[in-house]
Amino acid sequence: MRLTGKAALSFVLAGIACAWQAQGADEPKPKPENTVSVHLTEPVPPQKFANPPKFWIKEMADRSGNPQPMLVLHSRGGIFLDRQPTVIVREALEESLKSANLLAADADSADLVIRIYLFHFGLAEGSGLDFFGKVEFSAIVKNPKTGETAEVKASGTSIAKGAARKKNIQKNVQEDLEESLRDATRNFLRGQQLKDAVTLLSKGGEVAPVAPAKPEDKPH
Amino acid sequence: MTKRIGWLILVLALAARSATAKDVTPVFKTAEATHFTGAEGVELTPSFYDYFYAELRDELKKSKLVKDVVGEGEAVDDADAEKSVVISGTVSEYKKGSVVKSRLIGFGMRSLKMDADVTRRSDKQALCVIHVHVKVDPSWNEKTMAKFAAQEIARQMRKEFAQKK
Repeated sequence: MRLTGKAALSFVLAGIACAWQAQGADEPKPKPENTVSVHLTEPVPPQKFANPPKFWIKEMADRSGNPQPMLVLHSRGGIFLDRQPTVIVREALEESLKSANLLAADADSADLVIRIYLFHFGLAEGSGLDFFGKVEFSAIVKNPKTGETAEVKASGTSIAKGAARKKNIQKNVQEDLEESLRDATRNFLRGQQLKDAVTLLSKGGEVAPVAPAKPEDKPH
Repeated sequence: MTKRIGWLILVLALAARSATAKDVTPVFKTAEATHFTGAEGVELTPSFYDYFYAELRDELKKSKLVKDVVGEGEAVDDADAEKSVVISGTVSEYKKGSVVKSRLIGFGMRSLKMDADVTRRSDKQALCVIHVHVKVDPSWNEKTMAKFAAQEIARQMRKEFAQKK
């Protein structure tokens, strides 16, 4: 009886160990061959402002609720980003603002300070026939002198064709993410919402202060 | 003989298709696709509308009817506003369908009806209204309907505006 009990315990422990190992084997790990670098191929030219202000991106917060923000695709050994999505979006916005001479040298010299809440970066559920890339964020633009704020939402989407070979999947996913990043950057920098926010905040206008955005405030 | 006729039809169809794609020159400077809304009682997930929005923009780019497809809420130069359109619309009906009925008697397809309005940006004048009815197998993903609906809107727009031009 004693021997049977010990054998049963060993059997259970061995089973748990095997299950643990199997789970570990399924979980994709970042390697150089399954990591993609996403960045803008060229800066997005922002819209023209009557009185061009100087912007400064103060903070980037990931509000996607994604426990693995750098894992883009789980299947086929996984596809990972080389940097955090917040870093990628910040770089895209700063490059584009800099190209139009709208980026301040530091926070103190900025006319408008931006805080960004990133809600989605990566692939979203599509038809299964293609890859659906989506980038969504919300920016709180603040005039540091008056303390007034305004919210600007932006989103970018892209559809890339599906693929069967892993090499092609990786290439298409990378292109898809770059296109959706470009689209979101453009949507923000050329959006009517940013134009209105700049006009109102430059005047020190009557913009109702808004609470920091939450994931459920996700732009539709 | 039958095989030869088949090849001939295929070659003619491909030639006609490529000629149509090449002939289209941009009619509009910009087109803004907006997120469609669902009428009361339409039970589609928010991700459906997101995906449809992305597909519609993709199809508009492919149609070559428009020089630049802008995102929702993007500002357009006043000079370009007269030659720009905004596409908005509503999903008026959605039926989930039934896999059992479809397998047994061939009915019960998943169906979607939507109306799209194409309006001129400068004066908000309605240029055309497009009615789309898509039917797919009930076992298919709802997003495939979005793909077909977007293709149909782009096809009808091409037909409408390429003729007017």
